[in-house]
Amino acid sequence: MKNVKILCVCGSGAVSSSMVALKIREMLRDRGYNAATMESSPTSAESVLASGGFDAIACVSPVYADFGIPKISALGMLTGMGEEQVINDLVKVLEEKYGK
Amino acid sequence: MTKTVYQELIVPELDAGDAGDAIRQFGARFLAGGFVRDTFVAAVLEREEKYPTGLQLDGMALAMPHTSGEHVRRPAVGVAKLKKPVIFGHMGDEETKVEAEMLLMMAIQDPDAQVDLLRKVMGVFTNQEALAEFKAAGDFEALYAAATKYLG
Repeated sequence: MKNVKILCVCGSGAVSSSMVALKIREMLRDRGYNAATMESSPTSAESVLASGGFDAIACVSPVYADFGIPKISALGMLTGMGEEQVINDLVKVLEEKYGK
Repeated sequence: MTKTVYQELIVPELDAGDAGDAIRQFGARFLAGGFVRDTFVAAVLEREEKYPTGLQLDGMALAMPHTSGEHVRRPAVGVAKLKKPVIFGHMGDEETKVEAEMLLMMAIQDPDAQVDLLRKVMGVFTNQEALAEFKAAGDFEALYAAATKYLG
């Protein structure tokens, strides 16, 4: 299991992002990743990212700023339509960084 | 298991003119029941304006208005079916609007402590059988039964 760190972003910085984080942790485990997640709102993303070590940002609210960390839309995690796509996008980002 | 479904937060026919009206009416019940502080409704409205919570699901559009924990006294989830659909912005997408048929309004104090409730709410979004039951529920008993079954 590779250890990875994902920031989950939603409007309140707590509720929807926590939902997404739960599912990301579960689904990434099945793909061989041990994911640590943190949650933030779009406005607090920068300060949370400053703690370092994040591999990707999973957003259910738009994050327009570029932090030099790959962003993926995680909306499919909530609607259930496109869950696999979200995980595939994440895995692709992680594989690009760490190899397969 | 902590109780999260309460009769006073089950509304089979919420007659609202728009999203703000729906949030204010439903929020008043959360306040009356002591689930939230008097800052809750304003905070939910502000959040909805900036970061809308409408979701187009497979078979139903709904909205899940909520806000951060400092406005909450005790955790709960309420289910209100709208007498006529109300337009909400879609989460994560300012351009898209949805005609919400139902509100799943959440009072979440601490997401880590209320992880079971978050799991259940998310489970409903992706469970077509559950969505169909909520959609078919035409009176209080049916809606309360569905809420207890899937969110309780």
